[in-house]
Amino acid sequence: MGKQNLTPEESLNIISKAITNFKINYKESSKVFLLWGWILTLASFSNFIILKILKSKEAYELTVGNWELMGLFIIGNWVVFSIIGFIILFFMDRKIDKDKKVYSHLETYVKKLWTVAAASFFIAFLLCIKLGITPPPIMLLIAGIATTTSGLFINFRPMIIGGISFFIFSIATTFVSNEYIALIVGAAIICGYLIPGYLLKSAKE
Amino acid sequence: MYKDLDPLIHSQLRLAIISMLVASEKVEFSHIKEETKAAAGNISIQIKKLQNAGYIKVKKTFKNNYPKTMLSITDKGMTAFEAYVNELRKYIDL
Repeated sequence: MGKQNLTPEESLNIISKAITNFKINYKESSKVFLLWGWILTLASFSNFIILKILKSKEAYELTVGNWELMGLFIIGNWVVFSIIGFIILFFMDRKIDKDKKVYSHLETYVKKLWTVAAASFFIAFLLCIKLGITPPPIMLLIAGIATTTSGLFINFRPMIIGGISFFIFSIATTFVSNEYIALIVGAAIICGYLIPGYLLKSAKE
Repeated sequence: MYKDLDPLIHSQLRLAIISMLVASEKVEFSHIKEETKAAAGNISIQIKKLQNAGYIKVKKTFKNNYPKTMLSITDKGMTAFEAYVNELRKYIDL
């Protein structure tokens, strides 16, 4: 391959072949969605169990009036699962990076979007604690923005629908009591991360 | 013939390399070798020419003791590519 006297048609063929060969690696992108899907689903359902236990008669007698202790259990649960998620993500990223030969523009945009979303999750979480607001509606809203935008970037309809479902679940959390919010968050994660994640994994590039 | 076309880009291998870089954020050397099926030495020479012209950036790193060469296009390279495509359109009458 070293021809110098190309015709314009030949040049155009080379350009179009090079450009069409670059497609987003769906399978690779789905790994991160599935990781956070499972981590957050487990965190939501364990949160529900913790709330159920804390509301039992025996636990209520022990923790009565001690709302800080209850809050500590719930926040601790989310923090532990998030730390586990970030540790797995770190090693997963390292492995992906090791084998990766092409970094597409789209993948970079999506990665930057989720970095900003992660920072937003953290800041919103701190703000909610400070202002005494239940975090899930805000968290689901941020997840909805990032998931819908990712779906629009890669033009993948199940992810767009999953992202929109986050908005609906975000509103739904305002109509139920605290312990059932955890169940709604779990359902939102299944619809918004896990189902689109598995569909992305099996999708043709 | 086709004297308005940038001679640095208007070569089969260099055009393939620069087109791949336009389409992505960064590309590893081995991927270019796989796609173009050209010899590593020849690719290196063409990369050097594009790098010297300021069209591409070359970053060499090590991953598990193996060298990894990542290539990306510069703003100057992108402008030159756009100009090349515009000239090409005149010839093809698009």
